[in-house]
Amino acid sequence: MNVPMFTLLVGIPLVSSPVVYLFGRLTTRAQVLTRQGWIVRLLALLAVAATWFPFINLWLEFQARGNRMFFNIESIWLQLDGISFLLAAMVLTLGTLAILFSGRYMAGDFGEEKYYAMLLAMIGLMIGLGCANDLFNLWVWFEAMAVSSYLLVAFYREQPGSLEAGMKYVVQSAVGSALALLGIALVLAQTGTLDMDQIRLMVGTMELNKLGLLAAGALFFIGFGVKVAMVPLHTWLPDAHSQAPSGISAMLSGVVIEAGLVAMLRALSTLTGFALSWGWLLLAFGALNMLYGNLLALQQSQVKRMLAFSSLSHIGYILMGLGIALVSGQPAGAQGAAFHLFTHMLMKGLAFLAVGAVMYALFHEQGIHRPLVAHDLNGISTRYPWVALSLSIALLALGGLPPLAGFMSKWQIFVAGFQSGNGWLMGFVIFAAVNSVISLAYYAPLVNRMYRRVTATSVKKGSDTIHWTMQLPLLLMALAVVVIGLFPSLMNWLTEPAGAALMSIFQ
Amino acid sequence: MTGLLVPSLILVPWLGALVVWRVGDSRPKWQHGLAVSFSVLAGIVSLILIPQASSDVAFSLPMGKLFGELTFIADGLSVALAAIACVVGSLAVLFAVDYMHGEHQLGRFYTFVLLFIGAMTGLVLTSNLLFLFFFWEITALCSYALISFYNDDPKAVAGGMKALIITQFGGVGLLAGALTVFGTLGTYQIPDLLARFSELTPNLLAVMGFGFLLAAAAKSAQFPFHTWLPDAMEAPTPISALIHAATMVNAGVYLLARFYPVFEHVPGWTFAVMLVGMISALITAVMALTAMDLKRALAYSTVSQLGYMVYAIGAGGIFASQFHLLSHAVFKALLFLAAGSVIHSAGTRDMRRMGGLGKQMPFVRNVFILGALALAGLPIMNGFWSKELILEEGLLHTPLWAHIGMLIGAGLTAFYTLRMTWMVFFGEPREALHAHDAGTAMKVSLGILAVGSLTTWLLAGPFSSLLERTLPFHEFHVLTLDTLAEEIFLAPATYIALGVVALGLAISWMVRKQATGPVPAALEALSRESFGLDWLNQQVVKLMSQSASAMQKTQTGEMNWNVVGIIGALVVVLGILLWSAS
Amino acid sequence: MTLFNVLIVTVACLLGVGLYGLLITRNLIKIVVVLQLLVKSVVLAFVVAGNVSGHPGIGESVAATIIVADTIVAVVALALAVQVRIRFGTLDIPKISSLRG
Repeated sequence: MNVPMFTLLVGIPLVSSPVVYLFGRLTTRAQVLTRQGWIVRLLALLAVAATWFPFINLWLEFQARGNRMFFNIESIWLQLDGISFLLAAMVLTLGTLAILFSGRYMAGDFGEEKYYAMLLAMIGLMIGLGCANDLFNLWVWFEAMAVSSYLLVAFYREQPGSLEAGMKYVVQSAVGSALALLGIALVLAQTGTLDMDQIRLMVGTMELNKLGLLAAGALFFIGFGVKVAMVPLHTWLPDAHSQAPSGISAMLSGVVIEAGLVAMLRALSTLTGFALSWGWLLLAFGALNMLYGNLLALQQSQVKRMLAFSSLSHIGYILMGLGIALVSGQPAGAQGAAFHLFTHMLMKGLAFLAVGAVMYALFHEQGIHRPLVAHDLNGISTRYPWVALSLSIALLALGGLPPLAGFMSKWQIFVAGFQSGNGWLMGFVIFAAVNSVISLAYYAPLVNRMYRRVTATSVKKGSDTIHWTMQLPLLLMALAVVVIGLFPSLMNWLTEPAGAALMSIFQ
Repeated sequence: MTGLLVPSLILVPWLGALVVWRVGDSRPKWQHGLAVSFSVLAGIVSLILIPQASSDVAFSLPMGKLFGELTFIADGLSVALAAIACVVGSLAVLFAVDYMHGEHQLGRFYTFVLLFIGAMTGLVLTSNLLFLFFFWEITALCSYALISFYNDDPKAVAGGMKALIITQFGGVGLLAGALTVFGTLGTYQIPDLLARFSELTPNLLAVMGFGFLLAAAAKSAQFPFHTWLPDAMEAPTPISALIHAATMVNAGVYLLARFYPVFEHVPGWTFAVMLVGMISALITAVMALTAMDLKRALAYSTVSQLGYMVYAIGAGGIFASQFHLLSHAVFKALLFLAAGSVIHSAGTRDMRRMGGLGKQMPFVRNVFILGALALAGLPIMNGFWSKELILEEGLLHTPLWAHIGMLIGAGLTAFYTLRMTWMVFFGEPREALHAHDAGTAMKVSLGILAVGSLTTWLLAGPFSSLLERTLPFHEFHVLTLDTLAEEIFLAPATYIALGVVALGLAISWMVRKQATGPVPAALEALSRESFGLDWLNQQVVKLMSQSASAMQKTQTGEMNWNVVGIIGALVVVLGILLWSAS
Repeated sequence: MTLFNVLIVTVACLLGVGLYGLLITRNLIKIVVVLQLLVKSVVLAFVVAGNVSGHPGIGESVAATIIVADTIVAVVALALAVQVRIRFGTLDIPKISSLRG
């Protein structure tokens, strides 16, 4: 049987999801073979590792052809371009590491098999989302991904906090997706098609009802924007990201909101050239996100909630990079934004996983369930030096200290702004740089705390060691943050095609 | 050869940092020994590098199209500053062997010190503007980590934070400058900028020039950013000597000197530089007069002396400023380290509790006096020559009132220097402090610095010809010792300056008995608030936290309000789109 | 008034009711019901859009898919609401809103 590579890319995670679930039910609950959870964990890890195989194959083919590729699964046509590859690479990288990390973190939790099943499904759906070539198809992937993430956010269903967060997440996302659908309906009414390439062509050439298109644009912007967590649509994010299990927090902050961004960009790209450039709107929301995210992060005492607000501000940088690209018409900003998407995935994923490792050692192993506050980090370096080091690297990189990865991607965005020669764009860049300085005011004290000599009582009571399967992903990601910082050109293979693809859909 | 020496000057301390960190806190003797060996090695390499200075690229490594080539040029300015960083660095590390004896977490201390030394040499040696910015940021991070070294003490944490935020805020100016250069010229190479700056529009040049001034003022703790340096005195004293007196704070002066040919003709730039230097020099001299904390008094004096250097650059006296930078690095490191041994043995920083300590620690007293003489600018100490050179440049190239201002500053310097020395070492002991003289390691490094304070002025000739030979874009006059002596001793300005200094000393001598008593209320109030600048800092922080807590109210946590956000944003976006389409 | 206009008005009314309901409803179950109203207006909008553009097939198949997808969301939301009722003992939104700021 000759299965196309593309089918494997989306199919392996999606098919393994129910398989993992079934095996999990048989082993952990029905106890058919053994009561051990390791089968589930190993299966999940193998599934996500196997997905790399079609990814690499497709990448090589893409390199050879140098152009976007089309595939079909039955009657559904999908495309693979630079954006799809960027998203797939991000999802697979973080997905692999998060599953490896979760092995210990989630071990023995009630419903462990559901966790992996949903996580795998989410991974497959996000890869699919990046490949959609049809507005409605895009929405279906988007909605399916959202459903799997609802269940993961509210995974600790015995905890009021995660239920509350899950409820808000569901309702706000549902409102957003209804609005986005309405936008799609408006486009369908005018053009009679849902294929994005055809719509783009028709909007460019035919006389269509401008008002309808404007309304559709606004609906796309806001509808998909809820998932991107643009201020003021962001209100679900701090709750959801801080209440989810740490592996999921990493996925949500590192790739899910970015997947929402990809969906938004794909949808918006069909409607260009008839009104204000989308770039200015992206810039405005980007600036708002940065300032709001930073100021609120300053006020937080819970570490995960602070990281969630920091995600808001980082989405701001990404929006700014895209805005610069669209306003100036130069691919540099888009490439910078793509690079920042990737580095943010690494840094924020690392930060959430490292915080998760600390929570596991201090609380979960002791059977305690409470949020980690800044005070709990006091002196953790004395007990868990590697975790403290990786978390420090993540935080400093998020704060934009050179030569770590976070600075390099911001720098690429900043350079794009200044290369445009446009005074307004330069102003936005300066604003972003000042915001980076503000952000140090909450990152640096956390790092400082970790290296105190007087340790918090919760740290003294923590478990003695942290399992290597939890430390390994942290160290790998910390290493990546440093290496990509030292050699930023290493990521050009991924960011250049993504930037080019973004520019080509927004022509 | 040079090609390998230059990167090794950065890599040797960084390797040392790695090694000391991995050795671990359970082996303090190893940590002390390794830190000293690596820093001394770096010091030796930096001295070997001096005769090989040239304006050619010594080392280059391509980093990809957006980041340019990582290049290093070991010209006169670079090697001199690198040597200061490494030599003073190794002396400070040597001093720390005694000073930090028995402290916890030595690994963290030495790691950051060595990291700092490497970054500082990188900062002055690189000829890529982007990497200059990198090293700039790394030094700020090390400074933060070391100010907050005693991080269980909230004052140390707050002081570190203040320093970090203010210097990083200034760093935005440098960042904007680097972006402008790359955005317009397509290169980060500093020599390219120096050669081709005329291709930039006057507006962009002005933005860059004032951006660099902002960065320099924040880094060198100049007005209006001078508030962070006194609070940085929570750091262990070897750090104050190394980072906050002899090296990192010079980075701002270095930046201005390095790019002087680019901005020299930007309207108002040199005047602004001069003014910033003059205001800083004067107000902090007044603040040093009222300080009761020994280290804070020295910190104010550092800002004041850096003000002299900045003023000299505003007057076009690049050599004078760099010469004073050299003198100051030596005598201020000496003063700080001597103060460190006083604090170490007396157990307090409050000068009101000291007095008469000279008898208990004669060696420290003697070297402190040498440093104090240099600070006050008395012949034949190194501070005398360089300060007179600055005043002379000022007389020639700046308005008379500015020159007079700096003269008054010199008088104030003499005043507070004598006051400080008297309060610590002379008079009747005010409290029975059990002080003992410095340990061997301390004595070695203090001794070397004391000899330096007496002799570094002899380097004026070679230093100036080195600069003249290797900096093709700057204008320098080669100054031999003869011409230097001639210029200074034949100029009437010198005698006026010496007269003012003598006056300062005389007044200080007369009021020495009142030094511990109350300071005039108005003066005290002004300097306590850093002439209103501390108040301004607090207002900025307050504004931030107030707006943050106001915004926090928008996160109501109620689903209905969350939906209001969505619908509201939809209406706004629709409105904007309709408006733009009409 | 043609059928077409009636449908458009219906879509608009449902949409308005849905959005307004989301603003004022303080009960979780009712929120889920209101969400259903909102989505139903969109389903109707697709049917209309398909007809207007001359491709009724597309509109109808999309509408059918949305109904399925939306049912899943409703099920998840209701399941969460049931859990909320168990853990909090109430469905009143102000009483279950503890995460803020």
